[in-house]
Amino acid sequence: MREGRWWRIGWRNLGRNRRRSIVTASALAIGYFSVVLMVGLLKGLVAEMVDNGTGIVTGQVQVHADDYLPDKEVYATIGGRDGADVAALVATLEADPDVAAATPRVYGGGLVSTGTATGAALFLGVDPEREPRVSRLMQSLVRGRQPVAGAYEVLIGSELARTLEAEPGDEIVVVAPAIDGSLGNDLFVVAGVFHTGLVDLDRAFALFPLDVLQSLIALPPSRVHEIAARVPDPWLAAEAAARLAAELERGSLPVAAESWMTLRPEMVEYANLSEAMEWVLMVIVFAMAIFGVANTMLMATFERRYEFALLRALGTTPGAVVRSVLYEAVALGAIALAAGAAITLPVLVWWYHAPPSVAWLFGETTLSGALMRPVLRVEYPWLMGVAAAAALFGTAVLAALYPAVRAARVAPADTLSGR
Amino acid sequence: MSEQPAVRTSDVWKVFEHDGIAVEAVRGVTLEILPGEFVVMAGPSGSGKTTLLNLLGGLTQPTRGKVWIDGADLTTLSERALARLRLERVGFVFQAYNLLPVLTARENAEFSLLLQGMAEDERHRMVGELFERIGIAGLEDRRPAKLSGGQQQRVAVARAVVGAPALVLADEPTANLDSATSLALLDVMANLNRELGTTFVFATHDPQLMERAQRLIRLVDGAVALDERRSAPASP
Repeated sequence: MREGRWWRIGWRNLGRNRRRSIVTASALAIGYFSVVLMVGLLKGLVAEMVDNGTGIVTGQVQVHADDYLPDKEVYATIGGRDGADVAALVATLEADPDVAAATPRVYGGGLVSTGTATGAALFLGVDPEREPRVSRLMQSLVRGRQPVAGAYEVLIGSELARTLEAEPGDEIVVVAPAIDGSLGNDLFVVAGVFHTGLVDLDRAFALFPLDVLQSLIALPPSRVHEIAARVPDPWLAAEAAARLAAELERGSLPVAAESWMTLRPEMVEYANLSEAMEWVLMVIVFAMAIFGVANTMLMATFERRYEFALLRALGTTPGAVVRSVLYEAVALGAIALAAGAAITLPVLVWWYHAPPSVAWLFGETTLSGALMRPVLRVEYPWLMGVAAAAALFGTAVLAALYPAVRAARVAPADTLSGR
Repeated sequence: MSEQPAVRTSDVWKVFEHDGIAVEAVRGVTLEILPGEFVVMAGPSGSGKTTLLNLLGGLTQPTRGKVWIDGADLTTLSERALARLRLERVGFVFQAYNLLPVLTARENAEFSLLLQGMAEDERHRMVGELFERIGIAGLEDRRPAKLSGGQQQRVAVARAVVGAPALVLADEPTANLDSATSLALLDVMANLNRELGTTFVFATHDPQLMERAQRLIRLVDGAVALDERRSAPASP
């Protein structure tokens, strides 16, 4: 018999006890919704971590002199003592198809003092024009204004400002060891105060215009420690870094191009753990659903044992009986998936565009060193959405397998005789 | 050369176990039913009528002995081969649970043709003609729940005979019907027997059916107590 008829029989059988079919399909649909939403939330958590972990300062790709990391020696600038054509390097990075923007950076360290209070700080020299295209550090300004290139102005973190009791407009003395062995020092005006929510940044970071910091620590304009790049899809950063490394190698510069995945391995580990959890979650939800569906299918096939006996008496093979029950389960799965998708998609879209705040539950926190806002963010879990759909069908079919085999084993003579 | 029987048994026994006690439902039955015969197996409840009918149709295997349909030894066939044989050579009419409730009257009647892979047009034509012949034309698209008991049994008869099987086995086909409907159904089957030459074997208590029998086999305690061929035709 053509399979189409068994499909039709399976479909019609679902309509015989509509309430039961609806309840069973609802259980599967809610299972699908739960899995997709929870996976979406897990992915949202990871995305929030990666976005903030890479977006506030790090960037998704960094280029350094090959001996710069891990010690971050102040002498280890790109191109060594001779320096490099920084503008050309930036242009090379920005030419990569996955790179949206790149910016040079200089690092230093030293003391800052207002006269009444003194604190140690890490100095970051940035191009005030380019930096906002790569990181969100400068956008974290809460008081004052941005520093201007060439001006002796500084942005300081909110915790550092509190320690120094400094506010925009105040003057501070900055002292930093220079690469020529001298001690650079000068008077700066606090242009503004930033607050990222990351205590380490807010307590220890001071941002200077790139050229000013280079001057303070006696670095010529051609010498920078880092070129950071923004890759809008962070998960493409490793490929972009590999491409850039190959490209820069051709220029004979001893540089290393690394993605955030190398620079922030703790975030990768968390992302991997989270991905494993997604599968565990799906297995748990659908494993629970299997028993519910199997129970329903067992009841349904038991109630129809006379029909199976009749089918067998009429010459239907046991395999065809099994298939007829399995097709019914697949039809049930199709209804459940349609219902599940109908619930899940709009909720996901709404949630994606308006992630609910949970500030009433907890404030800003950190995860693997990354700032986490108190919002329940979701990401569209496309792959897991498909995997969960397959799992839903798998659940329906697996749950129906035992009832189907039992149906095929119905002894027609005994059953039709009521034995 | 003598005509090959539609169905034949040789010293067939069927023993059931009930709470460790062996119950002999059929005891040493040897029969030959010829093509075109209209046979009624009668006997009191528990005499083994239904069990013997099930053995003749290959719905159950004998504990001992042999059963042949059209010369094929049922005791040597696999489950799949038995299913194929039932599909192609045996039609069944049961007392109840006769029709699949999710199929229409036409779909029920053409079910075995469908299993055999017959084209839709041909199936519809054959079922249409048969429905016309047995008086249920126009009911093709109704589900069983929308048919009377008599109409349902006619659809079951149509399903049983439509593939021109070697024999049709009917277990108490009139048990749930009123007298007039029973009579009408018997007329249908008698006509089919006469016009198409279909072999019918009934298990029944129904005196109306027994009256129609060309051959009456009376069972007592699982054994044949009487096997009587009558001259009276089965026709109404």
